[in-house]
Amino acid sequence: MLVKLAWRNIWRNARRSMIILLSVIVGLAAIVLYDSISVGMIRQMLDNQIGAHVSHIQVHNEGFSDNKIIQNYIPDPEKVEAAIQNTPHIRYYSKRVITFGILSSAYSSSGISLIGIDPGKEEQVTKIKESIIEGGYLSGKEHEIVIGKQLAEKLEVGVGDKVVAMASALSGNIGSEMFRVAGIYRTFSSEFDKTHIYVNLPGAQKMLELGNNISEFAVILDDLDQQQQIKTQLAAALNDHYEVLTYKELLPLLVMQVEVYQESIFIFYAIIAVAMIFGIINTMLMSVFERIREFGVLMAVGMKNRRLFWMILLEAFFLGTLGTGIGFVISYLLYLPLSNSGINLSAFSDSLTSFGAGTTIYPVLTVESVISALLVIPFIAVLGAVYPAFKAVRLEPMNAIRYV
Amino acid sequence: MEIIKTIDLEKTYRDNAMPVHALKGISLAIKKGEYTVIAGPSGSGKTTLLNLIGALDKPTKGKVFLEGEDISRFSRNQLGELRLNKIGFVFQAFNLVPVLSSLENVEFTMMLKGIPERERKERALAIMQELSIDMLADKRPNEMSGGQQQRVAVARAIVNNPSIVLADEPTANLDTATGSDLLDLMEQMNRERNITFVFSSHDQQVIKRAKRLLTLKDGKIVEDKMIEG
Ligand SMILES: Nc1ncnc2c1ncn2[C@@H]1O[C@H](COP(=O)(O)OP(=O)(O)OP(=O)(O)O)[C@@H](O)[C@H]1O
Ligand SMILES: [Mg+2]
Repeated sequence: MLVKLAWRNIWRNARRSMIILLSVIVGLAAIVLYDSISVGMIRQMLDNQIGAHVSHIQVHNEGFSDNKIIQNYIPDPEKVEAAIQNTPHIRYYSKRVITFGILSSAYSSSGISLIGIDPGKEEQVTKIKESIIEGGYLSGKEHEIVIGKQLAEKLEVGVGDKVVAMASALSGNIGSEMFRVAGIYRTFSSEFDKTHIYVNLPGAQKMLELGNNISEFAVILDDLDQQQQIKTQLAAALNDHYEVLTYKELLPLLVMQVEVYQESIFIFYAIIAVAMIFGIINTMLMSVFERIREFGVLMAVGMKNRRLFWMILLEAFFLGTLGTGIGFVISYLLYLPLSNSGINLSAFSDSLTSFGAGTTIYPVLTVESVISALLVIPFIAVLGAVYPAFKAVRLEPMNAIRYV
Repeated sequence: MEIIKTIDLEKTYRDNAMPVHALKGISLAIKKGEYTVIAGPSGSGKTTLLNLIGALDKPTKGKVFLEGEDISRFSRNQLGELRLNKIGFVFQAFNLVPVLSSLENVEFTMMLKGIPERERKERALAIMQELSIDMLADKRPNEMSGGQQQRVAVARAIVNNPSIVLADEPTANLDTATGSDLLDLMEQMNRERNITFVFSSHDQQVIKRAKRLLTLKDGKIVEDKMIEG
């Protein structure tokens, strides 16, 4: 009966209840959209980095990540490869030679990161092959090179044109090699496209006098969340001469950004909560003051403070859950098309592509976000009713009855 | 048997700059089955006295005994419990919860007592039939006249079989005919169920029908007479 009473009470002043409902709905929609867009952005930034180059786990010679010189090669790649092959839950891996160098055309030259790859293996690990927009991917023939769109523009070269790569070889001599542009790629990041060039592994090994040695293994796992466990297994299988690094260690800045985003959600919740709580305190107080006489009669006939208190909280709870329900349906209906089509931010594309998220953000609504929004918002509504309810039970019945 | 007994009851309101001595030593006893009207000019302390008898307020001095128990020292919660179980109230107006139907209003105090829904409904309907207001069962207060609302309030006041029913100017907002019907109803309950009633009123028709008339003036009893029917 108390439930019935509370439910009917909220419809006594429908306009006032609508105002509360509306504020709850708007608050919830804001949280759901903000949350899903930030999660989408974080995921995209991570996916982009992982998919373009970083992969889930990398194995190097000890010290390579601090000093990416060619001398820091993996001396015993067969042993590392065997360890990788013997570790469960590793889906793909690729071998890379990496060094810094200069790429020149007839017109210009540019500092680059030269990456020698096994095209077949690399295409399983990264998205470079999918990112080709002109020409083709490496086929394994000699003197092929794949470069980024930005770099091609800078060097004023197109598919089929000649370029020369130079880099310090193992012996310290300058190794140099002529390549022909086989393909031009474009990724999420113009910065990445300007600096990463791909050649076939044997060509790179020859140019750098590396023999059969390589700089890096890049590994993709069955599940990203296994990274810590597999890192431990791999490190145990290898010895101290190697470093095994997860994407989190390879992308410390990005990981920090993810944390900042996660904290910003809390701040966002706090802002919404504060705005909502004051609205609810205000409207619930009005509704309590309008009913002083009625509460007086209820208390006079024997309604206890505790019951009256719960009745008012229950009213706020109904408004909170109702608003949350409606708000969730509305924001889900907004979210669905956005998650399919993405939100096109090409107006800000320059800053965003260098930011690493791409021009189109696809919002992602996680179960955790949904659950926390569905629980937190009604709770906030109830919290806002505590003070008005407290006011109501402080009334003295005989004064309340005299009140007109 | 004495339902109510007060000893030297005093009440002083101090919330304003000047303290108001609303009651100045009231000693009275009300027996089971009595039908008492407290009369007196405005401001003489009628409402104050009813509130003290009805456990809505605490005396400044003196004692109130309800069925032999001193309730002057009860806590807020104990007083609430006491009102729920032993006292029925009919106020001047706005007695009912606007969002509940008549039936639900009558059920309300039984709900507070934790009586199961079926029994609640049966008892509420039975009392409404007895008062010939069962056709109002589904109506909300705003769909009823003032007289009808007061009748529902009487039903609510007596449905829990209280020791005493207190009515503060129950007819003040009603026209003479409607007020007279309401009084018939309460007289009937007094006669048939031996329910003890205490009214306050300046309404002459209420005063005329009193079986015991207590007259207050300036917070004191100036007359107390039994009227033989
Ligand atoms: N809660 C209160 N605070 C302060 N003064 C009060 C309060 N209640 C009553 N009084 C004062 O106490 C005196 C007695 O009031 P009370 O309401 O008991 O009179 P009454 O006989 O019921 O009058 P009426 O016929 O107008 O209802 C009055 O002077 C009144 O102003
Ligand atoms: Mg009065």
